[in-house]
Amino acid sequence: MSESQHGALRLRVKRIEAVTPEINRYTFGAADGSWLPPFSGGSHITVLIQADGDTRRNAYSLMSSPYDTSEYQIAVRRVDDGKRGSLAMHNNIREGDVLLAGIPANLFPVSKHARHHLFIAGGVGVTPVFAQLEELSLKGSSFELHLAVRGAEHAALGHELKERYGERVTLYGHDGQSRLNTMDVLAGRPLGTHAYVCGPTRMIDDVVGSAHALGWSDSNIHFERFEDLGSTGDPFSVTLARSGAVIEVSPEQSLLEAVEEAGHKLPYLCRGGACGECETEVLELDGTIDHRDDWLSESDRATCKLIMPCVSRATCTKLVINA
Amino acid sequence: MLITGIKSRPVYDELTPMASGLNHLAAAQGSGGKPLVRLLGAMTPEQLAATTVLYSTESFTAQNYLFDLQQFRVRELAVFATNADAVRGLDASLATAKMGTRLYLSGSEGFIGTSMQVATSYGMNRDEVLREHAGSFVRRVWCAHCGHYSENVTHRVFVCPGCELNLIVRDHYSGRLAAFQGVKADSEVPGEMPENEELDT
Repeated sequence: MSESQHGALRLRVKRIEAVTPEINRYTFGAADGSWLPPFSGGSHITVLIQADGDTRRNAYSLMSSPYDTSEYQIAVRRVDDGKRGSLAMHNNIREGDVLLAGIPANLFPVSKHARHHLFIAGGVGVTPVFAQLEELSLKGSSFELHLAVRGAEHAALGHELKERYGERVTLYGHDGQSRLNTMDVLAGRPLGTHAYVCGPTRMIDDVVGSAHALGWSDSNIHFERFEDLGSTGDPFSVTLARSGAVIEVSPEQSLLEAVEEAGHKLPYLCRGGACGECETEVLELDGTIDHRDDWLSESDRATCKLIMPCVSRATCTKLVINA
Repeated sequence: MLITGIKSRPVYDELTPMASGLNHLAAAQGSGGKPLVRLLGAMTPEQLAATTVLYSTESFTAQNYLFDLQQFRVRELAVFATNADAVRGLDASLATAKMGTRLYLSGSEGFIGTSMQVATSYGMNRDEVLREHAGSFVRRVWCAHCGHYSENVTHRVFVCPGCELNLIVRDHYSGRLAAFQGVKADSEVPGEMPENEELDT
């Protein structure tokens, strides 16, 4: 298996394909030609991208087969505003280049007990579904996908899946007319159905809202947000209690990124406020914490004793964290 | 309320209406009728109209709550003479049930456990099911040697009706089998039997 370097994998870019006007698909192999670590459907890797002199750490779902560890594939949608990591991937990365990435982690696995798997995805949100369907298909599980895209030129990935899985894939928006209605898709489902949604925040909220209205319990609703990774906002400063270092967090970076830039380390996994790995104790605070994660409970948020440095910020004159 | 030092034994709930559900199935046996009466009493008229009750009059302690259950205006009340029939009735109801269904179980551990096996086979999750123990603490025991299930076991040592071995009931509950495990009582020294005792009834 590929040797990791300081916990990072060295990936060589084997192929770059433009699959829509905004999305490129990158195929990686291990830079040393060996095997890559195995993963399960729904996993992502964090890719280190050099952009404007900084290192961006963007999380991308693996869309290649979980049963083929000679390659990883990711899809990157170009976002012109924001933190420019995806722009650097599109503009600067060429076939043959070597990138560093973390080993795969899965915050969006398929349920082991579901009787039927119902996927709802929007746009580039379809990427984890590629690997999930491959896993379920080989296991002989029952599944279907409802995929909404913004028009014919954005439908290439959907057509690929339609070719593989036929009737089990329904496309919306590719013809400029059809629209996904989540109430219709979720209604009247037999017991043991699990819904998975990956797409824009609006779509996730819509699916979760419809499922709740239909009486679904939370354990059958799974989602992964791929937007809003990272954190921007007003600048603030933070003190690391153990070293006494005072670190300025700029408007364009997260607390975690600022700490890393200053040469310190914090634990992290998803960098999107979902996994809980970077949970850090707040020792002193004059002001309020702007919680932006999906991890802390309402009561944890209210006490302001914990912060998730990968996404959350603070409006404060003083913040000391136990790091 | 069943509280024991047996770690593998399920931790039971208290039946209260799960307001997020749109369709309700409530199955009980014998003494389990009492928590069910309390549950139905806490439901709104709309929830009652969306509730099917399955009740088995089989009871180890001769408790029957059928008359009390008949006082509620539920969608349907199905009555069964045996627990096994009630579990089969539950299976038939779950086969056509849709997402949004909530299940309530009460009665003996054996009844709750076998009902839970059926619910699990339909992929129901723990946040869709509430279970309340009621009545006697008799055990359902699975024989490790012949696979026979014995209902209503009250003593530590008994003769397995399946293979006629002397079994000792271990304090280990299997959620998958919905039973405690029974193993040969004199396997170390043939003929040397452990002291018999009444189980935690």
